[in-house]
Amino acid sequence: MQLSFAPVKGTSRSYKILVGVLAALVTAGVTAYAIAYLYGFRLWGINNSVTWGQLITVDFFFIGLSAGSLVVSSLVYVLGQERYKPIGRIAVFMGLLLMMGAMLTVLTDLGRAEKCFRLFLYFYLSNMKSMFAVNGIFYAGYILLLGTYLVAALSGSKLTKFIAPVAVLWAVLVHMGTGAIVGFIETRGVMYSPLKPVEFISAAFASGLALVMALSYVTLKFSKRPLNKDMYVSLGKFLAVLIIILMVLVLADKLTHFYPPKRDAVMFLIAGPWAWIFWLQVVLGYFIPLGILFNPWLRKKVGWIIAACVICVIGILFERAAIIFPGLSQPLPYYPGEIAGIWGARGSFPIMIAETLQTVGIVALLGLLYVLGLKFMELLPASEGEHAQGEPAEQAAPAAEGGHT
Amino acid sequence: MANWGMVIDLDKCVGCQACSLACKAENNVPHGSPYEQKRHQDIYWHKVIAATEGEYPSVNTQIIPMPCMHCEHPPCVNVCPSKATFKRGDGIVIQNFRRCLGCRYCIVACPYGARNFNFKDQENEEYQRPDLPPDLASEWGGLKFGAEIGPWPYPHRTRGVVEKCTYCFHRIDEALLRIENGEDIEIGVDVVPACVEACPTEARYFGDLDDPNSGVSKLLASRTYIKLREEMATSPKTIYLPR
Repeated sequence: MQLSFAPVKGTSRSYKILVGVLAALVTAGVTAYAIAYLYGFRLWGINNSVTWGQLITVDFFFIGLSAGSLVVSSLVYVLGQERYKPIGRIAVFMGLLLMMGAMLTVLTDLGRAEKCFRLFLYFYLSNMKSMFAVNGIFYAGYILLLGTYLVAALSGSKLTKFIAPVAVLWAVLVHMGTGAIVGFIETRGVMYSPLKPVEFISAAFASGLALVMALSYVTLKFSKRPLNKDMYVSLGKFLAVLIIILMVLVLADKLTHFYPPKRDAVMFLIAGPWAWIFWLQVVLGYFIPLGILFNPWLRKKVGWIIAACVICVIGILFERAAIIFPGLSQPLPYYPGEIAGIWGARGSFPIMIAETLQTVGIVALLGLLYVLGLKFMELLPASEGEHAQGEPAEQAAPAAEGGHT
Repeated sequence: MANWGMVIDLDKCVGCQACSLACKAENNVPHGSPYEQKRHQDIYWHKVIAATEGEYPSVNTQIIPMPCMHCEHPPCVNVCPSKATFKRGDGIVIQNFRRCLGCRYCIVACPYGARNFNFKDQENEEYQRPDLPPDLASEWGGLKFGAEIGPWPYPHRTRGVVEKCTYCFHRIDEALLRIENGEDIEIGVDVVPACVEACPTEARYFGDLDDPNSGVSKLLASRTYIKLREEMATSPKTIYLPR
């Protein structure tokens, strides 16, 4: 079947309102960042204990989603599964967008954002022992690859067949590298684990697939484009497998750290003051989606599958938070015994307006670019008759994205 | 080249915090407001912790002054993407503010909590030493020069970078120059970091760990010693003599 793609018209009232709201949120985010940059990051929730905050959490989350989106596109462009083709282009586009969002979060999180070029300019001359510097190379290459990939996919070029496998492998590299950023830090017991890179890529696949499914479904539905329900049912099965793999990895990781007598870190994670983050990750990320996807009735209903996807994506966001916040706020055991005062206290993390607004702003920016991309690029499969109505369109699309973060 | 290290005798330490104060004064570290202290956003190059073990009748509180450990294998140097943190030839781990991106990865990696992020541009009155002494700031045509240089390396700070203890490297470097010029002084005896100088009970010693005749080497040879968090395999060069 020849599949044609068409942009949405984007002339309806709701489309314009949506763009306006997103643009306003972006402006708020930019303002918040400008103020925080001028006044210093004391306006954020971060401090000398919990030194990475919302932005790095969202950064890991976005990188994961990006890698996952790429994998969905690889189903089409690498494995040649034509039935998934309707969402192939959206998947590539989202991969690029989310990666740009991830870069935006991590670069604005730098205390000296104007020096961020150093990470890319010096290439291998940066400290190659630092996973962060290594990832700088990965990220830059990844964005270039994705840009090329998107152009190739949009023009239907034969080049896709060559770029797609490289991009997917590079995505795996990018995400395992990101996992290594936290996994290599022995100081922080919650983070330190050889399984972290693998766990990261596995969480990335699950959350990325879930997000592409949810977002493409919502977009197709509201732009009244043809919807292939069987595609979502089969992707749902795929998602269930990915979540099981992730669950096994997390279980193996925690169990390994629980086994030796020195189990403070994992106890802090699963039973400490931040335990709710971990348990939300487990319940929202794994149990509820699996419950839906293995239920013989619900797993055939697209609405439920999409609900499972959205819940899974939220759960994976908590998975990222469960690395950052418990990992950093656990007091460092400088010396045996109970350390008095602030040096032995658990790190706190207040929710501050500037940081939150900026996080929301970046998410809104991605939503805005997504909505504009639908209008100016041929991402969606064309409807049966004429070019689609595109009307109340995308209303829910960024809403869904906003909901995830 | 020397291998600078510090030995702290916990038997002599009374926990008076003179070292913390001296460090703040010497390196012009801002005071930090009560709000910042509550939020843990203030800067400390040197801290004194009190670790308590046991229950009431048999309780033991150990007071431990903690500058940077200046590790032999510093994790902060490993993780710094831009080589802003580096280990000098004489073993001092130091921070180059101009290279620092402010990613705070080193704070995450440091097992001793020795690193601090600069959360804001400090007001003048938040410094111990708002201005350089007049003999260091030259005036020419109404313009002030020399505000950025001078023997004190930390006149004013910039926000958005990470900073830490330097073992008062400016004192050491100055002394090395003086020795080169023929002055009869010895680092570790006549010239020491500010915290060592300020200690009222003389619990702290500074010197060359590689030189078997230095005071610190003799102390380490004569007594049993501990290093903090040895399981991290960082081999700290700030070494403690237990009670």
